[in-house]
Amino acid sequence: MSEQRLSLLQHWMKAVVTERGNLDEKLRAAALRHGLSAEDVVAERRGLCARERLGIYAGGYVLRLLECMRADFPALRGFVGDPVFDAFAKAYIITRPPRAPSLYHLGADFPQFLRETKPSGERFDAGVSAMLDLPPEIARVERARAEVMRARGAEDDPPPAEPLSPFAIFGEGLTVEATGCLRLLELKFPLVDFLKRSDRGERPDPPAPRATLVAVGRSNYRVLVEEVVPWQFAFLKACERPAPLYEAVRDAAREAGEETPQVLAGVAVWLPVAFNLGFLRRVV
Amino acid sequence: MPDHSSAGQQGRPPRRGLPNLGLGVGLRNQHFAYLMSHDPEVDWFEIISENFIDNYGYARRVLERVAAARPVVMHGVSLSVGSTDPLDWDYLKNLKALAEFVRPAWVSDHLCWTGVAGVNTHDLLPVPLNEESLRHVAERVRQVQDFMGRPLVLENPSSYLEFKDSTISEWDFLSELARETGCGLLLDVNNVYVSSHNHGFDPEHYVRSLPHESVVQIHIAGPTDCGRYLVDTHDQPVPAPVWELYRLAQELTGGVSTLLEWDANIPDFPRLVAELRKAEAALRGENPGAPVRKSLAAAAVSNPVGFQLAPSDE
Repeated sequence: MSEQRLSLLQHWMKAVVTERGNLDEKLRAAALRHGLSAEDVVAERRGLCARERLGIYAGGYVLRLLECMRADFPALRGFVGDPVFDAFAKAYIITRPPRAPSLYHLGADFPQFLRETKPSGERFDAGVSAMLDLPPEIARVERARAEVMRARGAEDDPPPAEPLSPFAIFGEGLTVEATGCLRLLELKFPLVDFLKRSDRGERPDPPAPRATLVAVGRSNYRVLVEEVVPWQFAFLKACERPAPLYEAVRDAAREAGEETPQVLAGVAVWLPVAFNLGFLRRVV
Repeated sequence: MPDHSSAGQQGRPPRRGLPNLGLGVGLRNQHFAYLMSHDPEVDWFEIISENFIDNYGYARRVLERVAAARPVVMHGVSLSVGSTDPLDWDYLKNLKALAEFVRPAWVSDHLCWTGVAGVNTHDLLPVPLNEESLRHVAERVRQVQDFMGRPLVLENPSSYLEFKDSTISEWDFLSELARETGCGLLLDVNNVYVSSHNHGFDPEHYVRSLPHESVVQIHIAGPTDCGRYLVDTHDQPVPAPVWELYRLAQELTGGVSTLLEWDANIPDFPRLVAELRKAEAALRGENPGAPVRKSLAAAAVSNPVGFQLAPSDE
């Protein structure tokens, strides 16, 4: 057997495992593409035929990854119910087979997949149509939470030599930056309370659509999802690279369409909160 | 194939010179809270390497604490050493970086391929076993070992099919691989039991035929009897036939590190430790196991991975 033959066998078996359809359809697709049948490849022993043996791998593939998707998107699963969640998750697994070494990346494109496969057309009135945006939005926040859980946070930062004085922001030399785990989301629904209730095992009613700005951060390894107002959102965005505080305030004011002194006053009060929520860190 | 019976092993360092760490368990998210507030109770831990690569959350904090208290071994599931895709050097760089952080007693993975054409099925797929695939895998093991600067330890997977192209038994394949490359072996006696049932070979013969000085570690776990085949579900207590193989393997190797795998329906930590401690009874000649659990469910999943994504924030 040459390396070419080994490669052929692997491409064939990969097709059997990952192709769309039931086992017969998978085997047909693999045979068409690689010219091999189950009986050509697999030895039959102990009363189990080649087809049954391949079925263990093909069935296990989807179920194993489905279990991971359920673990990654519990609120979405609770909201749409198992049959709907499983149907979309299985379609996602088959349409976009995983490529990364870590399962952490498995659900990365799921929100986008849900957006792309959202039912559409004139048969839905505006209300229904708007609600169809909700599942992808829930998936976005859940994916953001998964990312925040693993990204670099501020937990290992040395404690500041001196606590931040309320007037520090007016002084020179204070530079801040967003922590590596901060995620900023512009959502079509207010989902903070919805998620909190889902996390408690409740079945909350779906929120009505409302444009919402959300920051997802981590403090002492706890993932926090907070709704923020436009100037706060703009300020956090301005801090995605280390920025002198006043510069970030000025940029945020411009972005949010507010006066710089107003934003400066807001930041003076809110800055310690943003530090505590793990959104920002001081650059020393 | 060369004779690898114990009588032929005189004078070689056992376990590739690696230590016998004693009795250990896998570090799982479900036990993080317990381990952050209790003594670890076990001799060592095994981590799934991919769970900690690029992970700077609570899991890494727990790992730091555990690694400060006990030896840690890195066990990977995505090396795909049997694949005909090129080795994933980005993955290997990340693996090496993690090894520099963890300083594991050793690094292991499986004799398998996980995908091809860029796809990772996250399953441990069987390799056709013949001279050509042996050359292919041996060359890749050498490349990985050169890059990592340490011997790789490879585990026998459980399998549900054999290829018509196979001409070498799995035990001979692993023996020759260890001889040619100097890699260590992670003998999963549960996988031997599962595969022997599914393919009709003698599991004792498998265990007796390996080069015992190359065996660095043993895995034990509980499979599920699905009627006409067994599945490696890692969700049960270790059954009696697996304890038998374990006792035999420990006798032949002279004693190597033991790791209990439990990856679905994971019990709380004290119950997990109680299951692990049954290994001591097994070594005294008792058999603490029950029969293999039978399941009518057609959906038993081998190599469960869902535990890898369970919430792990504080």
